[in-house]
Amino acid sequence: MGVRVTSGHRLLAAMIGIGMVFGAQAAKVPDLGPLPPIKVNKAKAELGKRLFFDKRLSGNAAIACSTCHDPKQGWTQNKPLSDGYPGNGHFRNSPTLVNVAHKKVWNHDGRIGTSLNDMTREMITEDYIMNMDMRIMQERIKQDPVYLEMFKDAGYGEPSNGKVRKAIPEYLKSLTSRNAPFDTGKMSASAKKGMKLFKGKAGCIQCHNGPLASDGKAYNTGVPENFDIFLDPNNHQAFISFAMFQGIENYMNLKRDPGFYNVTLNKADIGKFITPSLRELKYTAPYMHNGMLATLDDVVAFYNNGGGKDSKKSSLLKPLGLSKGEQKDLVAFLLSLSGDQLTTAEHVWQGGYPAEYTAIKDWKNVRN
Amino acid sequence: MKKVIAFRPLLLAAVAGAIIATGCVAQESKKGMNDPPALAPLGPPPIPADNLQSPAKIAYGKMLFFDPRLGGDASTGCSTCHEPDQGWSWAEDISRGYPGTVHWRSNQTIINAAYYSKLFWAGSSKSLESQARSAARGGVAGNGETGIMEARLALIPKYVELNKKVFGTEWPLERDAFRAIAAFERTLVQRDTPLDKYLLGDKTALSEEQVRGKKIFEGKGGCIQCHNGALASDEGFYNIGVPGVKRWEYDGLAQITFRFEIYAKGAPEEMYRTVKDDPGAYFRSKNKWDLGKFRTPSLRYAVYTAPYMHSGQFDTLEDVVDFYNVGGFAADGRTTGFPETKSPLIKPLGLTDDEKEDLVAFIEAFSGEEILMDAPELPPYAAIFTKAELQAAQEAK
Ligand code: HEC
Ligand code: HEC
Ligand code: HEC
Ligand code: HEC
Repeated sequence: MGVRVTSGHRLLAAMIGIGMVFGAQAAKVPDLGPLPPIKVNKAKAELGKRLFFDKRLSGNAAIACSTCHDPKQGWTQNKPLSDGYPGNGHFRNSPTLVNVAHKKVWNHDGRIGTSLNDMTREMITEDYIMNMDMRIMQERIKQDPVYLEMFKDAGYGEPSNGKVRKAIPEYLKSLTSRNAPFDTGKMSASAKKGMKLFKGKAGCIQCHNGPLASDGKAYNTGVPENFDIFLDPNNHQAFISFAMFQGIENYMNLKRDPGFYNVTLNKADIGKFITPSLRELKYTAPYMHNGMLATLDDVVAFYNNGGGKDSKKSSLLKPLGLSKGEQKDLVAFLLSLSGDQLTTAEHVWQGGYPAEYTAIKDWKNVRN
Repeated sequence: MKKVIAFRPLLLAAVAGAIIATGCVAQESKKGMNDPPALAPLGPPPIPADNLQSPAKIAYGKMLFFDPRLGGDASTGCSTCHEPDQGWSWAEDISRGYPGTVHWRSNQTIINAAYYSKLFWAGSSKSLESQARSAARGGVAGNGETGIMEARLALIPKYVELNKKVFGTEWPLERDAFRAIAAFERTLVQRDTPLDKYLLGDKTALSEEQVRGKKIFEGKGGCIQCHNGALASDEGFYNIGVPGVKRWEYDGLAQITFRFEIYAKGAPEEMYRTVKDDPGAYFRSKNKWDLGKFRTPSLRYAVYTAPYMHSGQFDTLEDVVDFYNVGGFAADGRTTGFPETKSPLIKPLGLTDDEKEDLVAFIEAFSGEEILMDAPELPPYAAIFTKAELQAAQEAK
């Protein structure tokens, strides 16, 4: 039950297309910079935190958001392809959720361009993610006295699935970079050299710009396919289900991830993916939409070669001729965009969960 | 008063010469209680013209029925809840559910389900085909979805082969999988019970006790008013006074499912807030007079399908008979949460202990040998593409 690409997305897709043309011609792009602060409602975020780590939000109560977005693994999973819902695999790398509230489009293919509320719904209901009938979820939550209290404290009143989709995004807003050397100004000499290359000779800034180091647009960089998507039936089934649902023709014969094509259904967009943020990379290996590049050294080497092999590859990517030392500096700069790991109680729910649902007392006489 | 249920010529037309007396005509409203259709030997099940039986289809359907990969997390197939050695049902008050849940109704046997024109306790499904679809999807049942199901089928070469042979499409469709399951279910029938033999002329097939019980069933007990025809079911809807699930009062997991079902089936707000029993057929008509009504179940194979009733509140047939004998109350005095819709046909019977024993013995005559079956060996997944094909596609990018 994925979320259909709405007309809003199509509009967005058109805008992205136009943006690209401008971007390519006028090399004027936003500079890197600090992230603007986001206001977070504490009570709502606290509730969202408890929900995020709660396995009862999945159909069989076996996995939580945090299973695939694990704080100890950079809020992603440190393996090429994400886990799926039990009985399924997945076909993409799980993105980090740090700074996710600063984005305007979500998922590697950018198919959600509305809100984190929609993103949360997709995660909860999608068959190969959490496979949850939200009506059951709502009743599970209403069965937990701690939630009843927390929903009230957050000003939400009675728990409902709509409010879950508000509380989790509120919590996601609290996951933002802190103390990255780039932001504190404590960058090494090598990182500073790397930044120069990033903005100059290496041309990274053309796409990786603004506070997130992402323009939120889609490009084909020629990342090779991850064959495990197709060779492992658990992954392939999730992929087929996804492609079928998104209305991609000939999905049974598809041997590559269509990427942004899924949003526009324009052949020129096959193999394009949204420029990811470069913050917190220190914790989020492996890289790219399918985890095909294991280390940042590999990523820089990849760009130094002018990207991968694809007839539709972006013309912005060309061999860079960076020396070994320059490549090192570039990696040092990338690492300077990573701050503290968000692994303390401030961001991670420590309160635990009841092992069983408590029964409502005097059930026959109280209102449901 | 229940509505007159239309005769379903489409289903029945397909069965040439079969003895079908599943009682598709309402008795309560049309006839006096003197002439319900007599009990009769069970004929072959109706086969819909658009889903004929074939050995390959049945073999495919059997594997699918036993395959847990039909469920959302690949752990819960049809047979997970309809266990052959639990009467093709589930031997607890309410059925087990999808992992992380419990169901809200008692499980029903698959044996002879082929004869019903309305499936589920509340009769909400009209064919085995559409019933299988509901079962595979329901959040507390299979919790599966078309996309994943079709993808899984496509990744199991044996299913691709069987499907192609039976339905002709290159890749299996979910819809056809349900048709195959229905075809398999149509083989799960029992037509050689002591009662069938007796009605076909073998007067030794019933014990004396059972013959006496039959008289009570058709007379003083009044059971025949609803449990009539070859299936021993008129497929009418009645509230006979069965109490709701006791567990709802003390089991948090069961309370969750209760509210979910009420909510998901579209109860109005005030009802969602206040209802404490299963509204049953109400959800089909949204008429107050259908509250707490359930389809008359067949009594066939009942020996193996305890506990009884939609809420599984009776562990034995003796308990059931006691319930009827006092006019629709459990031993502890509990009864339906909707007394206002209770059928006037249910009233104290004044059966003696001997009569009750005879009646139970007769109900047992609706069951023959236990139908047991080993789960078939399930075919494995396999990748659709070879590495070489993937490499070639990569080169061609
Ligand atoms: C089974 C693994 C899994 C679970 C569980 C899961 N996710 Fe995800 N999540 C992913 C993957 C994989 C993606 C990327 C999907 C894509 O690009 O198609 C993703 C993407 C996202 C994104 C978009 C990130 C971005 O930068 O575009 C957000 C936000 C998100 N998930 C939040 C959540 C929340 C909130 C939950 C719990 C309600 C959750 N996820 C549960 C695997 C998971
Ligand atoms: C044409 C636009 C463009 C340019 C120029 C570009 N990138 Fe990227 N970058 C992308 C896109 C798009 C992706 C995602 C590709 C994918 O997932 O398949 C990406 C991914 C990455 C990633 C992986 C991030 C992650 O979380 O997986 C890193 C690191 C990265 N780029 C660094 C750089 C560096 C360093 C440069 C300059 C040498 C650079 N990029 C130049 C568009 C660009
Ligand atoms: C999680 C347990 C569960 C699973 C899985 C399950 N069922 Fe059921 N089944 C039930 C319960 C409980 C009922 C009664 C539900 C009701 O009436 O609301 C039922 C009712 C039925 C009936 C109706 C019988 C009658 O007398 O009307 C049929 C037929 C049936 N199931 C077939 C299937 C098939 C086919 C599958 C697999 C696609 C399946 N079931 C999967 C629990 C399950
Ligand atoms: C007014 C119609 C009616 C009459 C009369 C009636 N029944 Fe029933 N019977 C039903 C209905 C409806 C159910 C299911 C009720 C429920 O689950 O709430 C049922 C359920 C049963 C069951 C449980 C079957 C199962 O699979 O769980 C048995 C056994 C049974 N009846 C036997 C009898 C006997 C014996 C008599 C006569 C003493 C009798 N019935 C009279 C309508 C009737």
